[in-house]
Order: sequence, then structure tokens, then C-alpha cells
Amino acid sequence: MSGLDFSAIPTRVERYLRELFWQRVHPLLLCFDPDWRLRDVHGDAAHYGIDVDDPAHGVQGLRDLFIGLPLDEPQDVPFVELGNGRSAHLHLIPDENLFHVLLLDAEIERDRRRVQQQLGHEEVLASQAKSKAIGQLKQIRSELERQHARLEEANALKNALIATLSHEFRTPLTSIFGYLHLADRRANEEPMMRAALHAVRRNATYLFTLAENLLEYGRSETTQPLLNPTPVDLAALTRDLDAMFRPLAEEKGLAFHVTLKLDDAAEPVFDEVRLRQILLNLLSNAVRYTRRGEITADIVWRAHTLSADITDTGIGIAAAHRESVFTPFNRGGHAGSKGAGLGLSIVKRVVEQMHGTLGFESEVGSGSSFRVVLPLAQVRAAARACDATAPRFWLQGRSVLVADDDPDIANLLAALLGDLGFRVRLVADAQSAVLEAMAGRPDVLLIDVELSGLSGNAAVYKLRSRGYKGRIVTLSATATGEAREAALRAGADHYLTKPLNVEQFVHVMQQAASSGWNGGGNGADDP
Amino acid sequence: MNAVARKLCMLGDFGVGKTSLVARFVRSTFSEKYLTTVGVKVDSKEVALPGRTPCKLVIWDIAGRSNLDALNMTYLRGASALLLVADGTRERSLHAALNLLMQSRTLLPDAVVVLAVNKLDLVEQWEVAPASLAELRRTLPVHETSARSGEGVEAAFADIAARLTA
Repeated sequence: MSGLDFSAIPTRVERYLRELFWQRVHPLLLCFDPDWRLRDVHGDAAHYGIDVDDPAHGVQGLRDLFIGLPLDEPQDVPFVELGNGRSAHLHLIPDENLFHVLLLDAEIERDRRRVQQQLGHEEVLASQAKSKAIGQLKQIRSELERQHARLEEANALKNALIATLSHEFRTPLTSIFGYLHLADRRANEEPMMRAALHAVRRNATYLFTLAENLLEYGRSETTQPLLNPTPVDLAALTRDLDAMFRPLAEEKGLAFHVTLKLDDAAEPVFDEVRLRQILLNLLSNAVRYTRRGEITADIVWRAHTLSADITDTGIGIAAAHRESVFTPFNRGGHAGSKGAGLGLSIVKRVVEQMHGTLGFESEVGSGSSFRVVLPLAQVRAAARACDATAPRFWLQGRSVLVADDDPDIANLLAALLGDLGFRVRLVADAQSAVLEAMAGRPDVLLIDVELSGLSGNAAVYKLRSRGYKGRIVTLSATATGEAREAALRAGADHYLTKPLNVEQFVHVMQQAASSGWNGGGNGADDP
Repeated sequence: MNAVARKLCMLGDFGVGKTSLVARFVRSTFSEKYLTTVGVKVDSKEVALPGRTPCKLVIWDIAGRSNLDALNMTYLRGASALLLVADGTRERSLHAALNLLMQSRTLLPDAVVVLAVNKLDLVEQWEVAPASLAELRRTLPVHETSARSGEGVEAAFADIAARLTA
């Protein structure tokens, strides 16, 4: 069959075709002079959202479509979505001193194509996502196997290192307290000196508690507790507590009473370090959260059982926070207050290790009363040795930029890093971390992954994609292999998880600081 | 001061977020729903540059694909700038963007080109390594963007405007 001879078409059919064409194609013809002044309009401009009476917003949009194109050559631009969302085929037809812009409706065709295209694209994207997921699953499985082997090895190393670190921390602090006591007695007549010594005592007490807590927390929960039961001089312990906390309480105008009742002739045997840790944490909290009134500590040794009741008239703990108060890094019960939020979680863990019980009663605004009950421990045949030579970290003068938006954690990290000899600079968001790191070139950037706004991983990625060569350690609350992989892929050299394992943290920071700006890295440090 | 109008084409594989970047830049909006683009959608926005004539970017959001066909070439004609878009979570989309750049060079040898690696909010899922972008930066201005959060979007378009009016 040959082509259609239009001259032979009956008039009625020709009219029908014309109507069909107008209905479906909605042709709009606009005639312009070379300066884009509209000369003539044929068709329904409103159908395409064009207001021919408003050149600024109507015709200007059309004119923009031909930017950079010669107006003396025919142009054919299909499927253009116009301002009103309607799709049209656009044609520019030069005509002596004029040119015409012809718009033909492409809405139906566009919609049809979109459905097909959408299905095709979604299928491809889903297929790509599926392949990626399968790859990730395989990777996770092999990573888990590797981690298992690493964990077993790390556990043994960790226990040994913690034992030595713990010893190293305690020795100088014990010395500090001893000399403080001597200095305090001789500074009676000098108010300024007394005030200074109080400040030193307050901070040393805090540091002692913090160091003990962090070291305790550094131990894995699955590790067998390294208890060292020995005969305990409860009278001396009571005197120490009184010497340590009375000045702090009195400085705040609080009454402070420590009592001891010895109703059992048997010798009390406990892990003294752990016992002190429990009482220190409870008393430290009591002093910190009490503004007026009194604090009492009643210690009783009776029927092979030691009980200690620590009572305060402080701010109290709301019922809503009763469950979470023993969760690490949780300060819900004492919102807005200072401290790392580790104390009660440590107390709970240590009491459980010593096969004891811990309970409390509290009323908001009236105070809290914690009760610890510990059964007599068995003396071990051989006390564990803890006099191995401690590692020394030569990090004096190295710089670290810490990016964390939680001031408590940031300060805690700063304190730990300062102890290691680092010069510490703090920032609270990822954007500042990127700018500071690029400008200041610290030896190590320690950045929290879960920063509000731009994430820590995004900041690390931005730094690496700009050629940043410094060492980067990321810290995250997500302890999954996937999260670790993501951080390392973004460009971190080391990945640590919260709660902080101090031994590992020290090791990683030492390693990062030592490897310098061009050293190797990109290792997984957390199980 | 009258703005200088310049045609900018968005170029990249499908699903990389070209339409979302334009929506974020022009209308400050974002939709989670993926809706494929058929043909082209044209938007415009004026960019003010300190001490320079403002630049009106007429943005052609072209349907995504990994290769340029005759239809895409039609859309590219007259463009002064290209915003190449890749999806950081799909490395092959970066290859596609670079491939599109090579193909478009025959038609637009002098066009300003900037690369936007999109979906920074999903950086944990990125396949594109930072080292790859560090290498690319030697020859191409690169911006990490997130149409969802808006991170880097304004900067990418402003970079183009600045280069067009330099």
C-alpha cells in the first residue's frame, strides 16, 4: 500500500483528522522577531502554562530554552517539561526576519515512556542492590571469622596490660593523697594555700575515681574478674574515706558522717581495691549531687557479711531513671551534671563480681540511699602478680584534634589524651573538624562518628578526598563490623567503639601518633 | 545589574540524584521517592557572586543515562557548563559520569565542568573511595553533595557560576 494521498481524502475525513490533531497535539505557534518580541500567537498558550501577556514570566521561559542555540537554524527539542509540568516537543522554525516556536503536546507519550523507564530503572537498581547485599554478607561472614580469632588473642593481651596499667595509675595517686594530707596539716594558717589544696584534693579524688572506673570499664564483661581477696583493715578504710570526702563535703557546707560497726570476730576478707572502688563511687556521687544537708556512710561487718549504706539529702533520682541509672555513660538520673556517667555502672559490675547485692531508694528532691551487701570472700592461694613493667608512652608534645559534640565525652577524651602527653584541641562538629584538621595538621584526628549534622564519617571522607594524609581515629557507639568497614572505607585509619576500652584506646592513639603523617594505618581495632 | 544567563546541563546515570539536586538548589525541597525523568526539565536560578555580575543558571535536567545518544546531544547543544553527577554509593555511576564527559567533549570542548558526587548522607554505603576523588580533583572540581541534607549543593552550583563569570 502506497502513502496516503491527502488530496484524495474526503473533506469529512480531513476535518476529522484536523480535529483529532488539535485535540491530541494541542499545537501552539508563537511568532517572534529576532529580538524575541512576540508578533503573533496561534493556539492555546495557557495549555502550556505560558502567559503571553506577561513577557517576563511567560515568554522568558521559552527564550531560556534556546540559550546558546542559533535562531537561524531549525531546532527540535523533544520532551521538554514546561513550568506547569506539561511535557511538549519544541520546534524552532526560522522564517526570513522572524522565527516561529512550535509546541506540540507530548504529555501522553511522556507518561507512557516514564512508566516503562521507571520500571526498567527500578529493576536495575534493585539488581545492583541485591548484588551488593550478597557481597556484603559474604564479607561479614569472613570478617566474623577473622574477628573471632583476633578476639581470643586480644583478650589475653588486654588482661595483662590492664593489670599493669591499673597498678601504674594507683601508685602515683596514692602518693598524691599522702602528701596532700601532710601539706594540709601545715597549711592551717594560710587560707589561700588551704583553698588550693582543697582544689587539688577535689580534682585528685575525681581523677582517682575516673581512672579506676575507666580501667574497670576497660575490662571486658565476659572476662573472669581478677579478684584479689586479702584481709581488709576496715578501720583504716573508714579513716581514709573520711579523710578523702570530709573536706569535699565541708567545702560545700554539708555534714559528713562515716561510722563503722565491727560485730564479727572473723577477719574481713575482700578485694580491697574493688571495695574501695565501690565506696569511692557511691560517696563521690553523693557529694557531687548534694547541695545541702548531709551525707552518711554506715559500714557494718556482721555475720561474715559487709554492708554499707551511703545516704545523702541530694537531688535524688526520678522513678523514670531507675532502670537506666546503671547504664554506662547514662546520666539521666543526674541530667546536666558533670561526670562521665560511669560510676554506678562500675559499682554494679564490681558488686556482682564480688557476688554481692546493690539496691537503692531515692526520692527526687529528698535524696538517695544506696545499700551494698558483700559476702566474705575466699583468700586465693596465690595473689595475682601485677608488678610487671608498665609500658611507657612517649607522646609528649604530639597534637590531637578531638571532634565530639558531647562535652562530657570530649572532656574525658581530652583528660585521657592529656595524660598521655598529647596537646589536645577540641571541636564540637564535623565541619569544624574538617577546617581545623586541614589548617592545623594535627598528628591525630580523633572524631566521633555519630555527630549531629554532618557525620564523622562524612567529615573523614571529605578530608581524605582532599588529600589529607594525617592519622584519623574514629570513635563510634555502633559496634558492628559493617559500621567499622564503613568508617575505614571513608578513610579512617583506626576504628574504636564506645564504651571506651582504655587499654585499646591508649594503644591505638600511641600507634596513630607514632605512624605520623605518611605512616600506614587503616586497621580495625575493635572487635 | 542584569544577570548573565548561561545554560547548564545536568549529566549522569539514572538514579544518581540529578533532579533532586536541582530541586534542592532551586526550590529547597527534597523527595525520597524516585521518579525517573523523561526528556528534559528546565529550571533557572540566579546566583549572586560578590563583586561580579550575577549569573542566571538555566538548568537542563536531562534524563539519566550512561551513554550519550543523539537525543542527549540535542539537549546539550548551546550549554556553557556541565554538572556531572555521580552517586557515591554506586561506583559505576562515577565511571558513567566520566564517560559522559568524554563523549560530550566533542560537542562542548570549552564547557565548564564540575563533578558532584551525591548522596553524602549515605557516606557509610559509598563505594567511591576518597582516594579516587582526591585523584580526580587534580583535573576536575569535585564536590561531595547531599540533595537530602543540602550539604554541598549550593557550593557546587556557586562554583559553576563563579567559573562561568570568571
